[in-house]
Amino acid sequence: MEVPLLDSPSLEPNDEALARRAGEGDESAFEALVARFQGRVYRLVRRLTGSDGEAEDALQDAFLQAYRSLGAFRGEAKFPTWLYRIATNAALMQNRRRARRPAEPLDAYAPRFDETGRHAREPADLSLAARADELLDRRRLVAQAREGIDRLPETLRAAFVLRDLEEMPTAEVASVLGIEPDAVRQRVHRARLLLRGYLSHLVGVEP
Amino acid sequence: MTTLTCRDGAALLMDYLEGTLPADVRADVDAHVAGCPRCVEFLRAYRETPRILRESTDFEIPESLVESLQRFLAARRGK
Repeated sequence: MEVPLLDSPSLEPNDEALARRAGEGDESAFEALVARFQGRVYRLVRRLTGSDGEAEDALQDAFLQAYRSLGAFRGEAKFPTWLYRIATNAALMQNRRRARRPAEPLDAYAPRFDETGRHAREPADLSLAARADELLDRRRLVAQAREGIDRLPETLRAAFVLRDLEEMPTAEVASVLGIEPDAVRQRVHRARLLLRGYLSHLVGVEP
Repeated sequence: MTTLTCRDGAALLMDYLEGTLPADVRADVDAHVAGCPRCVEFLRAYRETPRILRESTDFEIPESLVESLQRFLAARRGK
């Protein structure tokens, strides 16, 4: 078993050791945590908010909240899980603060079946979404992928972003969102179905 | 013989890909997919969708934001 060498000058201290030191008032430990996690937290809140400006506000709120709460960090969760929970809440709070224009929901992109329960589309059409990154101009795909994620209902978006985009284990997503793992799986599954149909629509084939 | 439909199979895809279905249900899905080109193609797209969206939203923190975050936190911490 690997033992973290917390005091070795040649190795970086692990996240939880830094968090404990920061919680005890060690400012340099807090700065090290910010440097270590700012990129990942930014990517998370940018995906969750769908906007540069709101991501910036959420990033600041997240680290300020973490700074104020580190004294209570007990290491019951891994530090990244603890920080992601704070950052997710900061991003969701930003989403609630803004007067969002009503996004057109993705429900129209759910898979379609005929009266016997068979897929309504031909096989060749059903897999085209899998090649969206080959078939579409990169810049257009990037812009529309962001729009598609933004059009998910918030409950689905948070679960999908954490589980499928940040690639967190289902149990950790459940912990971050405060819901049961089964609920995470149901939300992620629904988001995948809708986004598959959305990608299919982008390449010119209706779901 | 399975009576599973494409609609039934689509509802089970996440559990199917993660290997968490009960063995008998998994066998039903396997049997359906083996004889259903539509489900083979749908499964392929379902599996690739998260990857495409992940790669399309791989945001990097702007350098200007790294600096403004440092300033913001320093001001709030009284430094």
